[in-house]
Amino acid sequence: MSLAGLIIILIIGVLAIFAGYLSPFDPNYINIDAILLSPNEFHWMGTDALGRDVFSRMLHGAQISLLVGIVAVGISTFIGIILGSLAGYYRGIADTIIMRLVDVMLSIPSFFLILAVIAFLTPSIWNIMIVIGLTSWMGVTRLVRAEFLSLKERDFVLAAQTLGASDFRIILTHLLPNSLGPIIVSTVLGVASAVLVESGLSFLGLGVQAPTASWGNILTDGKEYIQFAWWLSLFPGLAILITVLGYNLLGEGLRDNFDQNT
Amino acid sequence: MHKFLALIFLSLVVGCNNSQNLDNTNYDDPIPPESGGVLTNAMIGEPNNLIAMIAGDSASSAIAGQIFNALLKYDQNLGFEGDLADSWTISDDYKKITFNLKQDIKWADDKPFTCEDVLFTWKKVTDPDTRTPYGSDYQLVSSASCANNHIFIAEYDEPYAPALETWASLHILPEHLLKNENINDTYFSLNPTGTNFYALDEWTTGQQVKITTGQQVKLKTNPNSVHGRPLLEKKITRIIPDLSSQFMELIAGNIDLMNINPIQYSRVFPSRSELNDKINLYKEMGNGYTYFGFNLKKKPFDDLNIRKAISYAINKEEIINGVLLGLGEEITSPYKPGTYWENKSINKISFDVSKSRELLEKSGYQLNANNIYEKDGKPLAFEILTNQNKQREMTAVLIQRRLQDIGIDVSIRVIEWASFVNRFIKTGEFEAVVLGWSLSLDPDQYSIWHSSQDGPGQFNFIGYNNPRVDTLLENGRKELKNEKRKQIYDEFSKIIYDEQPIIYLYAGYGLTAIHKKIKGVKKITPPAGVFHNDYEWYIPKKFRRNEMSL
Amino acid sequence: MIPMLIGISLISFFIMHLAPGDITSNESAFNPKASEESRQKLRELYNLDKPIIVQYGLWLKRIVQLDFGSSFASHQRPVLWETKDENGNIKPGLIQKALPITLLINLLTILLIFSISILLGTIAAIKKNKIPDRIITLFVFIGFAIPGFWLALILMYSLGVVNQVLPISGLHSVGYEQMSKLGQIFDLLKHLALPVFISCLSGLAGISLYVRNGMIEILNQDFIKTARAKGLYEKKVIFVHTLKNALLPLITILGLSIPGLIGGSVIAESIFAIPGMGKLFYDAVLMRDFPVVMGILTIGSILTLIGNLIADLAYAWADPRIRRGLVK
Repeated sequence: MSLAGLIIILIIGVLAIFAGYLSPFDPNYINIDAILLSPNEFHWMGTDALGRDVFSRMLHGAQISLLVGIVAVGISTFIGIILGSLAGYYRGIADTIIMRLVDVMLSIPSFFLILAVIAFLTPSIWNIMIVIGLTSWMGVTRLVRAEFLSLKERDFVLAAQTLGASDFRIILTHLLPNSLGPIIVSTVLGVASAVLVESGLSFLGLGVQAPTASWGNILTDGKEYIQFAWWLSLFPGLAILITVLGYNLLGEGLRDNFDQNT
Repeated sequence: MHKFLALIFLSLVVGCNNSQNLDNTNYDDPIPPESGGVLTNAMIGEPNNLIAMIAGDSASSAIAGQIFNALLKYDQNLGFEGDLADSWTISDDYKKITFNLKQDIKWADDKPFTCEDVLFTWKKVTDPDTRTPYGSDYQLVSSASCANNHIFIAEYDEPYAPALETWASLHILPEHLLKNENINDTYFSLNPTGTNFYALDEWTTGQQVKITTGQQVKLKTNPNSVHGRPLLEKKITRIIPDLSSQFMELIAGNIDLMNINPIQYSRVFPSRSELNDKINLYKEMGNGYTYFGFNLKKKPFDDLNIRKAISYAINKEEIINGVLLGLGEEITSPYKPGTYWENKSINKISFDVSKSRELLEKSGYQLNANNIYEKDGKPLAFEILTNQNKQREMTAVLIQRRLQDIGIDVSIRVIEWASFVNRFIKTGEFEAVVLGWSLSLDPDQYSIWHSSQDGPGQFNFIGYNNPRVDTLLENGRKELKNEKRKQIYDEFSKIIYDEQPIIYLYAGYGLTAIHKKIKGVKKITPPAGVFHNDYEWYIPKKFRRNEMSL
Repeated sequence: MIPMLIGISLISFFIMHLAPGDITSNESAFNPKASEESRQKLRELYNLDKPIIVQYGLWLKRIVQLDFGSSFASHQRPVLWETKDENGNIKPGLIQKALPITLLINLLTILLIFSISILLGTIAAIKKNKIPDRIITLFVFIGFAIPGFWLALILMYSLGVVNQVLPISGLHSVGYEQMSKLGQIFDLLKHLALPVFISCLSGLAGISLYVRNGMIEILNQDFIKTARAKGLYEKKVIFVHTLKNALLPLITILGLSIPGLIGGSVIAESIFAIPGMGKLFYDAVLMRDFPVVMGILTIGSILTLIGNLIADLAYAWADPRIRRGLVK
């Protein structure tokens, strides 16, 4: 299962990274003679209402979606590791405060929170990445904390402490590497979720702004002409589906893997 | 795999066409007028307040316009005719308008309509406590009075030419129902009584009347209507905030008409014969124009040569063909083509690259190593801002391409409307914009072009300042004789065109799709538009939807 | 509970002050006639001229009294609950109108998720690794991965336009008031069918998987083997014993998925033009209608807390260990 996921991710990753080279057309090139053409030999996925090649836009959209996914998850994982380590290692007040914060953040519907923040700032790709990152660290925090709680009492940690290693060293070199399993799973699944959120936001017009292509905003156009230009609705949706599926398969597969090992 | 998926997808999307083919009715059958029937249309916003002077949003005014009348209205050729007024006279010094009101008119609650209602309405709209943005036009009336129950007199300190237009847009309210109410906050805004064709059709026991239940506004004929009963018994306006959903509803036959865009008009409809069997398309001159605006307070846009050079470098025909699929026209004055005020004598600035280069060089610009025009070490580069509107985006890109070809470095930024207005327009932090204005029926353009109107939030945000134009605009407001007025505005529009503070790009056509079951629509659309005679429309019994005793 | 509420209010307040400039300068109307004085009045109303701590305190005081202010965009309609003025005219509150609809959708969604996921999860667990299990697992994964708004579009088009089985958008059909009570319920269900289905999907996927895994684990446990060994009927074994045990964590999981449901209502309601909280929120965001945005954020969070509370109580009631403990 994870193998299938990995293959999918790699294929999409390659397409995304090399989008610039692989695109037959400039994704933002407006061609007034080629409005809403169905897929043909020149435009493998047809064109949109401004005559832009959909295939090229899809490739660049892949870049954007993956970029957002990875940066957002990077931010959330980073925050999660820090907070989770502090909570799990030091316990006491730090733990209480951090877990309360986690609970509070978990009770605010995250989509609402993201939309509200974007309302107060302006919609832009950086704001989206940061906001998604800032609203999805809770899961990682809990995982890291749980791992730390169970690992903390183990012999090798007590040994390191007796030897006088600093807390920071212990966390970094002993506890974290042993908690990697769940963190990796969470990261992979997090990318999937971030891609879904980004495409949802772009679909609503509050995500990636025109003319930059994103799978979500290609679908917004597709909505207007759904009965006439099926290609605008089929390909972006399918792409999101396959990408998220890939990450989910990989994540779940890895999770099974790690569970067996424990 | 690709094909397999596409097949599944298509089968969902194209589906068993059974239900669509059930509609074998021949809508082209000519049938004489019958009364009754319900028209269903849609709008994207929800009306909040049916007192138009307070509401200010288009959804509310659209509904209010069906319920109330003004003193005057536009006839099919966009001249004035009486609505609540039978006739009117203007005094020789142009400072007094006397309206002879129609007699024997009743409000929907059977109370008589009199001059008191007009006087009351005027007092309310000019009252500083009334929360209306429209008061200023009516405050110019120095005194308003009723000579008797059917004669209303409005006197002005100075002749005010746009006066008639203002009297064609003020909905007259019933004094007997509103005299004790706080107009800013009254039940009447949700439960109005008017004199026009239709009245609100929502009654619930108790105080609270909702305009919309399930997001519909229902109107039924007003038996006391000043113009007699319309043929259509009821109108239902569904509130569908999304245009693509509206289009789907149109195709599914759940709404009877809607405004469509050029792609739907020229590409979608022609490709679907089953659509053309049941829906007619209408084309008319639109109500707005799109322009390229310069921030005249920023260099180099204060240089006339630069502005003209840019205008010569833009291919407007290409934009109309690409953005509107040819469904629009170039304009040279801010008036509706085909109307009296249009200035036909202006020579268009054509698409001429060499002329453009000539002007740039005249201003001291030279092409640099990157093929961009440069002067004193500074390349000619700027950013075009526009809001999230497909047509404007496409326009901006086509402009960018042409300017890039010539050697001007242009970038584009598309911004969501709220941010756009607040962060860039109101603050003056922009270089160039692609935006639109409406094509006015009255030639007065004071609020857009007068130099006093350039404060934050006002319409002259590009910062235009020309003393001659200021004088013309001031005089134009005072000149009531049409011929003299035309001279003033002809000169005005010529100066604007010569100075190119904005580049007129195009005026798009209004495109409407109306189901064939609605008969009585004029085949040749008059200048006032296809909806002008909607009170004469009817739906023959056999085409009516199965509406349970609606 | 209380510290949670304070935390939520702090975060909401903090977000409100993210915007450069203050919230009154963000009117999106191109209206030169909107006067400076009305803006000043708004500033006073929201105490924007005072130091931030004071602002927070005053805002909190108003929130506690459930006064969320009036909407900027909808002609001063109250955000939360209706207001009655001297003449007895009632102005309906925005959230007051929108909340019941969203609650209805979410309730139906939870019911459906609960019942269907138990069914699917059980089948998958029983027929583990056989064809039904594989199909259900595949469905689960696709359900997780499919973007809701995409599926909504496809279904809206194929079931609303092409095959005209369901309505395309809105909450009621034309002529709703004339229908019988039964007709009205049926009409409502028809309009809610697609939004509920879309809301269900990802929750369904996740929870079915969870039920499946939970059931498999329990089926392997000793006390089940004992029951089987004792010779109890297979069906009874499964339904009575495993289900009860697998169900308990399910309640907690459902509780945890409430914020996701409330947040997810934005997309479902916007696409199908259902006038619920999600759509209200989306419109408010577009128009920068800050009182409404803040109001929904706060109310949404409170709803989640309430939902979790109910889930906790339900868990305590359902778990015989806790129940017995209480009774003793």
